[in-house]
Amino acid sequence: MPSTAALLLAVLLAWALGRIAPAGASVRVAALALGFALVAAALAGTLLEKLRLPRVTGYLLFGMLCGPYLANIITRPMARELQIINGLAVTLIAFIAGLEMNLERLAPRFRAMLRLGGTTMALMYVALFVLFWITWPWLGIAPALTGVQRFAVAALLTTLVASFSPTVTIALIAESRAAGPLSELTLAVVVFADLLLILVFTVTMQGVRTAFGGEAEVGLLMSVMWEIFGSFAFGAAAGALFAMYLKFIGREVPLALIAFCATVTAAGDALHLEPLLSALAAGLVVENIAPPRGDSLKLAVEHGALPVLVIFFAAAGASLQIDALATIGGVAVAVSLARMLFIWSGARLGIRAAGLGPGPSQMVWMGLVSQAGVTLGLTLIVAAEYPAWGVQIQTLMVSLIALHQLIGPVLFRAALARAGEIGGMNQGVNPNPESLITNP
Amino acid sequence: MTWFALRTRAALGLAPTMVPVSLYVPLGFVLGPRVLNVLSYDVLAHLDGVVSVALATLGVFVGIALARQARTSGRLIAAASIESAMTIVVVTSAIVVLLLQWQVPISGEPGLIALVLGTAAAASSAGAAEAGVALSDRLALTVADLDDLVPILVGAIALSLAADGARSGLGIALAQTAGIGIVIGLIGWLLFERASGPGDRAVYVLGTLAMLGGAAAYVKYSPMLTGLVAGAVWRLAPSRADEIIGADLRKFHHPLLVLLLIDAGAQIGPYAEAIWLFAPFVVFRLTGKIVGGWAAARLAPELAADALGAYLFPPGVIGLAVALNFQQIEATSGAVIVSAVAAGAVAFELIATLAAQRPERTA
Repeated sequence: MPSTAALLLAVLLAWALGRIAPAGASVRVAALALGFALVAAALAGTLLEKLRLPRVTGYLLFGMLCGPYLANIITRPMARELQIINGLAVTLIAFIAGLEMNLERLAPRFRAMLRLGGTTMALMYVALFVLFWITWPWLGIAPALTGVQRFAVAALLTTLVASFSPTVTIALIAESRAAGPLSELTLAVVVFADLLLILVFTVTMQGVRTAFGGEAEVGLLMSVMWEIFGSFAFGAAAGALFAMYLKFIGREVPLALIAFCATVTAAGDALHLEPLLSALAAGLVVENIAPPRGDSLKLAVEHGALPVLVIFFAAAGASLQIDALATIGGVAVAVSLARMLFIWSGARLGIRAAGLGPGPSQMVWMGLVSQAGVTLGLTLIVAAEYPAWGVQIQTLMVSLIALHQLIGPVLFRAALARAGEIGGMNQGVNPNPESLITNP
Repeated sequence: MTWFALRTRAALGLAPTMVPVSLYVPLGFVLGPRVLNVLSYDVLAHLDGVVSVALATLGVFVGIALARQARTSGRLIAAASIESAMTIVVVTSAIVVLLLQWQVPISGEPGLIALVLGTAAAASSAGAAEAGVALSDRLALTVADLDDLVPILVGAIALSLAADGARSGLGIALAQTAGIGIVIGLIGWLLFERASGPGDRAVYVLGTLAMLGGAAAYVKYSPMLTGLVAGAVWRLAPSRADEIIGADLRKFHHPLLVLLLIDAGAQIGPYAEAIWLFAPFVVFRLTGKIVGGWAAARLAPELAADALGAYLFPPGVIGLAVALNFQQIEATSGAVIVSAVAAGAVAFELIATLAAQRPERTA
């Protein structure tokens, strides 16, 4: 009841401020947007948690309902200001994921994880490509394309649709404090798929350029290599520096953590690195090479992560283009259902190939449904380079992301709850590898 | 020596209640757009929102402190308010006369500029001085702590006049500012104690502070006044809201104050008007503090006027905050005022240093 009252007061205040604001007030809206989104989205998350739904979905729904496409309490300028935190959020989320990956613990399962991820992705790529090839005239994306061009664009669409969201997966694990075999397995698969996505997208874009008579960029492969390996190297070095800070100074850790993530984000932009990979590598180094003594980093993550997650998902919700879903809702729902079917069957096949027995691993497909920012970023590249049909791909992808942002977290949280892993970090649960792998 | 040691501790962040103006303001100037350009105009524009939150945070501190003392030290609050009001009157009237008589080519309303300078001059930094053992010293320190109420109120009035006094009327503007503070104070009161863990609490504390600063900045009102009202609500409401926010604020109020000082330093420019205003600001602030100290001692006889003066000379962060807040609304004349007040704050800290070292030498 007090939470609902506070939420109502916050919404009423935001509405009233809009009425009394002088002309030109929209330029000074950043702090208000952050404050309102923090309080109101966090409350929405808490309310949804009481309904056994993920908090993340609460943040997203709040952003969507109050955003510029529906109630317009979070106006377009406010939504734009909220996006500022996106880079920082992705870096922090990936850093947390790195901290959760203890290589010593994961080593015995590494091969199984690779097999599961590889098989799932392979089946998804093949099945989605065949589906798109057959149903091409009805997808609404340049139906007149034939031959090599249709092949190339269908492959590109397959790459985008097959992608997962490491950000949402990691955020959900961090937010629900989940720990256990399912969390680790899902995390490994989405990170592996993200690496694969960058590689396959580069190759398919080269194929599209060649098919449409353009020149393939010779240096592009090199830049992809730089993006992957450079990001890991930079992240490892940054992680080592941060570990030294924790060891020798160890003061103001929450602020230092935010400053560290901001630096990695800014350096990533400047050096054309992938902040997600850099931060993941940094987290891996801190966790596996120089783990901090005491709880200072753990507490800093607890204090620092939640505000960033709340803003990140509220901003994502506010930017969900509901109108796109309304435009091609039928096609999007059909593609989404097919994608989920292929994820489910791919994961089942992967589990068998990896020799994983019954148990939490059977639910890994539920953690692979979400899609978010990385996919959207790649879609924007396609739309900018090929506006003739890229815009249709963008509309379809935006609709799919809207659907998967809402469905994915609900499914994954349900899986984590069924596996009994929610709150596992608080209880100091040490995942037991034996429960996941039945073969020697 | 003790004073120097305390200063060094503060500079290293080991004594978070003390923030040396003479260190961070020049540092901000060096980092600012006129020297190294690390804090470029673009970066400063992005920091604008954070500055509003920092201003609101200062207001929360003052609000909690005032509400805490209100029941037991009503007379000291009155004395402190009279002291700061006298300073405002002295500095404002003297500068407005000079501006009109000498016809200084400064953009903006002379009365408003003088009022902002007077308000910025009124605050004192109790944390910059070391408490003596005598009762009069401790009381003087309390007065220096409590004299921020009037500058925040008058600063809010100046801000409303600068933003557009005719928009809704001064009274309504102040009532709306207080109303925003009360509503956000209620939101915090409903949430702080019910947070399910430290992460949740951090979200609520950060969120309410950002709302306090952001809401006021959005409608061009005073973030310090919204913060003050919310702080008072948290203190007076039947809960532990003030303790919770106090504990959380302790973790990051020092960085916020440092940010304010660095931002003020970065805004300093070589304006002829600022150089012109600097000397009257310093001279009339000194006069105002002496007169104000005398008036406060008349109201509360347990205060020794000479001890009070020594504690009132160090500049307050609130003074710089008032100037920065005005600059957010009125960029051109605000930059001149921030430059004069920041330079004056450094000068006053040096004066306070000399005043603090003299007794040690005699001892």
